[in-house]
Amino acid sequence: MALLDVDDLVVRFRTHEGTIHAVNGVSFELEEGETLGLVGESGCGKSVTNLAVMRLLPKPAGKVEGGRVIFDGQDLLALPEREMREVRGRDIAMIFQDPMTSLNPVLTIEEQMVETIRAHRQVSVADARQRAVELLSMVGIPHPADRLKSYPHQFSGGMRQRVMIAMALALEPKLLIADEPTTALDVTIQAQVLELLRDLTERAGTAVIVITHDLGVVAGITQRLNVMYAGHIVEAGTTDALFERPSHPYTVGLLHSIPRLDAPPGEKLIPIEGVPPDQRRAPTGCPFAPRCAWRLEVCWTEMPPLEPVDGSAEVVLSGPRASHRVACHNRPTADEARAGRPLRPGFVPAPPPGDVVDELVAAEGAVEEELVVFDDSGAPATALPGAHGLPQSPEEGEQR
Amino acid sequence: MSAVTVAARPVPARASRGLWRDALRRLLRNRPALVGFFFIGIFVLAALLAPVIAPYDPLAGRLVDRLKPPSAEHIMGTDLQGRDEFSRILYGARVSLQVGVVSVVLGLLMGGTIGALAGGIGGRVDTILMRVVDVLLAIPGILLAIGIVAWLDRGLFQIMLAVAATNAPIFARLLRGSLLALRESDFVIAARSIGASSPRLLFRHLLPNALTPLIVQATLALATAIIDVAGLGFLGLGPPDPRTAEWGTMLTDSTKFLHQAQHLIFFPGLAIVISAIGFNLLGDGLRESLDPRLRR
Repeated sequence: MALLDVDDLVVRFRTHEGTIHAVNGVSFELEEGETLGLVGESGCGKSVTNLAVMRLLPKPAGKVEGGRVIFDGQDLLALPEREMREVRGRDIAMIFQDPMTSLNPVLTIEEQMVETIRAHRQVSVADARQRAVELLSMVGIPHPADRLKSYPHQFSGGMRQRVMIAMALALEPKLLIADEPTTALDVTIQAQVLELLRDLTERAGTAVIVITHDLGVVAGITQRLNVMYAGHIVEAGTTDALFERPSHPYTVGLLHSIPRLDAPPGEKLIPIEGVPPDQRRAPTGCPFAPRCAWRLEVCWTEMPPLEPVDGSAEVVLSGPRASHRVACHNRPTADEARAGRPLRPGFVPAPPPGDVVDELVAAEGAVEEELVVFDDSGAPATALPGAHGLPQSPEEGEQR
Repeated sequence: MSAVTVAARPVPARASRGLWRDALRRLLRNRPALVGFFFIGIFVLAALLAPVIAPYDPLAGRLVDRLKPPSAEHIMGTDLQGRDEFSRILYGARVSLQVGVVSVVLGLLMGGTIGALAGGIGGRVDTILMRVVDVLLAIPGILLAIGIVAWLDRGLFQIMLAVAATNAPIFARLLRGSLLALRESDFVIAARSIGASSPRLLFRHLLPNALTPLIVQATLALATAIIDVAGLGFLGLGPPDPRTAEWGTMLTDSTKFLHQAQHLIFFPGLAIVISAIGFNLLGDGLRESLDPRLRR
């Protein structure tokens, strides 16, 4: 049985400006000791998914409105808060993006580490301190016994992230969630921290979920990838399969928008036009359709299911033989994926059908109305067909 | 290469230095704060050593000496009843210091409890408590204090209570605000992600971090408290015993003799200004030296 089984998770935020559809039915599994990457741009729901797993969504706005999270045989969403607190830290630990702000500035490293250890284990302060020294030296902090007495502001960013890793691994959790673990670090330090993370978790057999927007980060350290867009998983599979044969237009776009050293000289980066959809609207159709160069008419109205690329009926959800699955009505071919654009002669991305435009305009109207209430300027917003989310041309898409 | 050496070098000298010592070091380099310290030093020494320094009894005077200008005998002159103004200023410092400190501590306790409850529990408790605080904040401080003294009758303790009540809503709002901001901060979420319990979160992670703005506000509140006490005295709501040396009351008493004895206005006024400015300067200095954004 999988260590973590997230099944059809739905997370919504109720705010003054309406409901944010942050996660719209996400399912994935994770084996013990496996490393999974969650990739997507800001706001695609990757962090929210994991905060929901930890039950740390900001209250009262964020709510899990559907689905199950089974961890180690327990339904985390049904656990009483007291037992959930035991799970946090002991079984699942987290590392956050910004090491500058994720340590308490008024407590020494020793106080914070000893507190963490003693919150879950019945050990003396001296033993906990001994363990803290071991952990600090394990993550490569020189003179750990001396540095224990330091405050967070006396460490550099890279060192703080090492301290965070040490704290997260203090209780040998079964699952480590690393939310953008290297985004705030210098490029020179990033590789060090990633390598450290991989070494330590491999040695301890810890399962890891790495959340990132940077495909370069996950390439070297994950076995499997889930690509997320607007609260959906749009492509899933082993890291090798995804890099070798990206099958969703969004994944293709992601791969073409990062510079590569092995690219032929003079090759241009292809940006993904437009912006992610307004998540205040309930999703209709494929969320990527407005930005997609491969879109068909059906893309506007019907969300494609996540299906194996090779068309086989048997689906492996986790492990090294995990099926390569994609949610797309019109998958780019291998050549197209390499080129980064459709190569079929005469192919034009389908314009939105009339009723979709009407629906979008109606939805825009509803959103505008709500916005006007909270708008300080008082200027009435003019809702034009396609004013939001529907770039009429690449230039327009870029302007927004 | 050099980066590696830097990272590997031990820094015991820095490691031993604590957060508060860093703040103190910065405070001692802040010139206005030092001036504030100096003023407060004068004020506190005057209050503590009044019985030793004061050349005359502040309550007894000879009517023949009434309204004398400053001289070698009476360096700040004498008042209407021939009492030595300098001795009265010294004893007045005692009243101001006592009322100031007690009322601010009282206000901190009241406001701190309300703020911690509102920010710590949140939800409906927060809404109700904060509306009450809003109502209190809507009433000008001195008006509220006058109302309380008028209601509870004159007396030193009533004055303390009144000044505390004007400060409490400010402390409550401040603490609640910082608690709410801190609750969403990364390190609090991080602490929750390793399974910290609610009391531990409040007392170890939230309150210590919310303390610095409170310390600053308390220092500034001492300045206002001194002015409030003098204000109440000036409006005739000072200590019940009219002989008590209290700066505000001394000002009121001397307004009728402005033409004959300007020194009776000047010296109590100066005392109020010096002590209030002292706490203000120190408060500003504390704000700068405790500001986490300036921490290096």
